[in-house]
Amino acid sequence: MASVLIKKALFSKTNALQKTVGIICNATRNHWNFQYKPGPYPKTPAEREAAAKKYGLTVEEYQPFPEDMGYGDYPNLPDIGAESKDPHYPYDNAELKRNFNEPYHVNAEILGEDRYNISFKPRISVMEQWCWFLGVIGGSIALYYYMEDYKFGRPVTAKQYPQDGPHYSFSSQ
Amino acid sequence: MGQMMGSYSAREVDLYMDDKPTFDHQAGFQFERKQREMVAQEEHLVSAMIPPKYRDYCSHHLLEYQVCRYKNMPMLYRCAHEKHNYLNCEHQDYVLRMKEFERERRLRLRENRLVGAA
Repeated sequence: MASVLIKKALFSKTNALQKTVGIICNATRNHWNFQYKPGPYPKTPAEREAAAKKYGLTVEEYQPFPEDMGYGDYPNLPDIGAESKDPHYPYDNAELKRNFNEPYHVNAEILGEDRYNISFKPRISVMEQWCWFLGVIGGSIALYYYMEDYKFGRPVTAKQYPQDGPHYSFSSQ
Repeated sequence: MGQMMGSYSAREVDLYMDDKPTFDHQAGFQFERKQREMVAQEEHLVSAMIPPKYRDYCSHHLLEYQVCRYKNMPMLYRCAHEKHNYLNCEHQDYVLRMKEFERERRLRLRENRLVGAA
């Protein structure tokens, strides 16, 4: 069975095989080939539906980029970093937290768990962060200037050097 | 803490750490105070390249210690006695400074008391 298929591929569809091999080689060497290019921007509802089907999305989910951005019919997916995705969901590809045939985000190369979480939610707001920072630093500076007038020292006089004139011990001759 | 509090109360008479004594050295003494003498000679200290910071009344001990180190270079434990002498001397020097501080504080308090009484 398989040998029949291979023979068929080799002898009756030579051109198609060469084309496929060419595409694979080009993709592995140059990381791009013309088939990666998105289609033209969808203008009619029918085109939109076709584009949604092509990327495995429903028509409601599908949302192309504005035409002048030059992304064609590529879908504008929600900005969710891999780090923000549910870690307990049984993904097809758990390492990348991706399912089979799931469309890639346009900036997928920086949204991985090892790079950047675009949907990062800070634990406290930026305003609160500034309040803490200025409170701590400003408080320390205020305390420093307040304490300038209350400096402590050890109860000793200046160190005695022979050139500073005669010094006397506390014993008699 | 106790050492700090020692200078804390001296603030009342405007006396702080590393101030110089202002009264006559004999004030309040029945006997003649012995003058401190510098044993080491300046040329020797310069020759031994001892920094000015350490050329105090204990520097002859330091000089001895450094000479000992030079002579016994890898076997520095042999200079333990010299080092001990030097550190003891520095300790006594510090105690003397503390005594001067306390004397200065008491003399100032006494002066304030006399001025208040007059």
